[in-house]
Amino acid sequence: MYAYVARRMITGVLMLILMSMITFVLFFASPVDPGRFACGKNCSPALIKQVDKAFGYDKSVVVQWKDFAVGVFKGRQYPEDPSLRKSAPELVSDCHAPCLGYSQVNLINVTTELKDKIPISGSIAVAAFLMWIIGGVGLGTIAALTKGSLIDRGLVGTSLVFYAFPTFWIGLFLLEFPAIKWGLVPIPNYISIADGGLWGWASNLFLPALTLALFYMAGYVRMTRAFVLESMSEDYLRTAKSKGLAPRKVLFKHTMRAALTPIVTMAGLDLASVLGGAVITETVFNYNGLGKLAVDSIATFDLPTVVGLVLLLAAFVIVANIVVDILYAFIDPRVRLG
Amino acid sequence: MANYRKKALAVAVAASMSVALAACGSGSSNSPSASGKGGGTLTYYVRSTYDHNDPQRTYLGVELANWNRMVYRSLVSFPMSSDPAVAAKPVPDLATDTGTSSDNAKTWKFTVKDGVKWQDGKPITCEDFKYGASRVFATDVITGGPNYILTYLDVPLDPKTGLPAYKGPYTTANNDVAAFNKAITCDGNTITYHFKKPWPDFPLAVASLHMMDPYRKDKDQGDKSNYQIFSNGPYELQGAWDKEKGGTFVRNPNYDPATDSTDIRKALPSKIIFDIGKTSEQITDQLIADRGADQGAVTQQSIPSSKFSQITGAVADRSVSVESPFVDYLVPNMKRLTNPVVRQAIAVATDDTGWVAAGGGPKSYKPATDIVNPAVSGYQSDLFPGGGGDPAKAKALLTSAGVKMPYPITYSYPSTPTADTQARALQAGWEKAGFKVTLDGVADSDTYYTNIQEPDQTADLDWAGWGADWPSAITVTAPLFDSRPNLTANSNGQDYGAYKSDAFNALVDQAQASASIADQTKYLQQADQVLAKDVAYIPLDIPIFFMLHGSKVMNYTTDPASSSYPELGAIDVSSSVK
Repeated sequence: MYAYVARRMITGVLMLILMSMITFVLFFASPVDPGRFACGKNCSPALIKQVDKAFGYDKSVVVQWKDFAVGVFKGRQYPEDPSLRKSAPELVSDCHAPCLGYSQVNLINVTTELKDKIPISGSIAVAAFLMWIIGGVGLGTIAALTKGSLIDRGLVGTSLVFYAFPTFWIGLFLLEFPAIKWGLVPIPNYISIADGGLWGWASNLFLPALTLALFYMAGYVRMTRAFVLESMSEDYLRTAKSKGLAPRKVLFKHTMRAALTPIVTMAGLDLASVLGGAVITETVFNYNGLGKLAVDSIATFDLPTVVGLVLLLAAFVIVANIVVDILYAFIDPRVRLG
Repeated sequence: MANYRKKALAVAVAASMSVALAACGSGSSNSPSASGKGGGTLTYYVRSTYDHNDPQRTYLGVELANWNRMVYRSLVSFPMSSDPAVAAKPVPDLATDTGTSSDNAKTWKFTVKDGVKWQDGKPITCEDFKYGASRVFATDVITGGPNYILTYLDVPLDPKTGLPAYKGPYTTANNDVAAFNKAITCDGNTITYHFKKPWPDFPLAVASLHMMDPYRKDKDQGDKSNYQIFSNGPYELQGAWDKEKGGTFVRNPNYDPATDSTDIRKALPSKIIFDIGKTSEQITDQLIADRGADQGAVTQQSIPSSKFSQITGAVADRSVSVESPFVDYLVPNMKRLTNPVVRQAIAVATDDTGWVAAGGGPKSYKPATDIVNPAVSGYQSDLFPGGGGDPAKAKALLTSAGVKMPYPITYSYPSTPTADTQARALQAGWEKAGFKVTLDGVADSDTYYTNIQEPDQTADLDWAGWGADWPSAITVTAPLFDSRPNLTANSNGQDYGAYKSDAFNALVDQAQASASIADQTKYLQQADQVLAKDVAYIPLDIPIFFMLHGSKVMNYTTDPASSSYPELGAIDVSSSVK
């Protein structure tokens, strides 16, 4: 198994390198001049040229990528002008390895920037994940066990409604009515556990997490129902029942174990993708997490941040994939890593 | 200043402009419930992050105005007044008077008041002003701010780069520090600026921008200082500024009101909280709901048109509608529309009334007749007719031009649902006059501006927007239509239509060489008439700010000095809002 994990890790690193290259190339293919963007208004061509030089935008894409790659392993200093380090060292910022670059828009090194955002996106993602897994799998199982009944039809119908409504609509509804108009819950504002305690953190997280969870939960209800029904029709379950096994044992030991396998795969990948930032939810509720940062950095043409985000999100997905594959082996004994 | 909608469209950020001077429609209100003792907590909602808090890097009009009233005092400032004539006349702030000029306005002298202090109690010195100005020259570190001083201050140019030989305070390599020390001198509390050309409206620039503000050398960390605020005004930042959330300002104990004037700032709220990041829709919803801290809240965001129907009754009493300091306009591409009669026909056929109606009506726009805003000196009311357009007259002009009809034109603009509707209104007017119009809405506004700066752009007409840096047309028509600093092999700069006119440039030169504001204005008005004759632009509208505030906000007002945004120098909040 160790060899398998090592192989997957190496493939993952190669993918990350490739993705960083693609992002750089795409950035340079854009018609927008980042130097002009950073220089501001009323900038003459000479001034823009100077800003390009100061920020390193005048270097070729290959050199810029090489500088970036070196920074990941060795760290960098910003600005990189050696004369400035001599004449005004207080102006120079250290970006320690793994340095993902320096955002000229947000004036912060990207590694620090991402570190600040991960708890925010992570909080929403984990809270939403718990809601949708517990709710989705639980309700999906109930629907399967009560197939054809009013409960089943009600659950399937409701989940279809939530699945059909776009996340932004649900988010705006929850923000506009329960929070702003009716004042039933506080207007969400991210507070860390350190600042607001567990209750402050959780109560502010409720609406954003619910917004995200409702969409996924709806999908998981339908998926779980289908997988459980499929498992229930297997021959080995009929055998288990005819042998006189208790219904609870049949459900949890035999039915759910088989039905959960594909759900675990989906859940791992879905969690990884929302960890990388729930763009719409964060934007609607003004949670300054990775998703909102992605929107802002694309709009402001902030290449270092975009590259950092792409790599982080890719790393989440790659790691989640590996974890899911390992979990698979535990849940389904037929699967062996090798 | 700038194509103010560029950023707004890109990152939902508002416009760029410094002081500008909009004539106020109904710029003030005292809501019925805004009674009682003041000194409460003011919440100021802002949709998008502020790019800079560094005085030498701040460039957005609303930010310049807010920081002036709260934390960054200048040598001179604009007073709070709804009368544009009074509002455009700087009054002494950190200086003892409004400055004295000599040598045909090429030398300006100010004396710093005694007793003015930084937030740590140290006195503000002449050297602090000199150091502040020096930072503007560090164009590789102090980016994004206004840089007029680079072209005015009497410092030689580096022949290699075409930029000043003085490179700011951070570097010693190839840096002509002596030239800078000669151009700005300190004699006790008196600071003297030496310019290479007349700058008769220099005090207006000082009052509008924070470019010439003092800066403490021992607090300077270059780029790292971008969000630090070291105050010399009535408030100071409590803790650090969070770019994405804002910050809280409390009273500065070292501020002495005796050194200040209540014409500039009254500093009435005990605390001011900047809350950044909510959408305009959410801000409006919260202000309509008017609960808790929102009762003491104001915002720089206009009410979105989707919420107009909710602004009725008591809520409407808490709203104001004022003209912004900006102007939106069309730019004919001179490389494609080479026939002046065709350009005239387009101008005559332009349905300004339809454009305004499609944009949301009088709550959103007012038709414009000049690219210069009415509150800026040099404005002329009769340069363009405005109104609903005259297709018959335009058709006659087009026929007289001897061109094949229907004449094909392409109109390029940054696309939004509203802009698309407005474009169709223009299209209808032009097609009635014999044009065949192709609409080219560009979804990405940054790409849009990059496109129209391309020397070989293919559109015949482009949309653009602008606001003056200070209340003079010298910061409007000169930066937009003087071909010399704008047109290069790679870019049209801000002269999007590649307009080139010796007559116009000569008048700009005369304006820039004028030693008096009156002479300068005279030449600028003549220059604007040349632009109108050549149809170098077609004015469209003055955007309207339609803003809401909480029920316990007192003395709510907007004025030219606040760029038509809430005037933080005057506004108070009931003490019941903590």
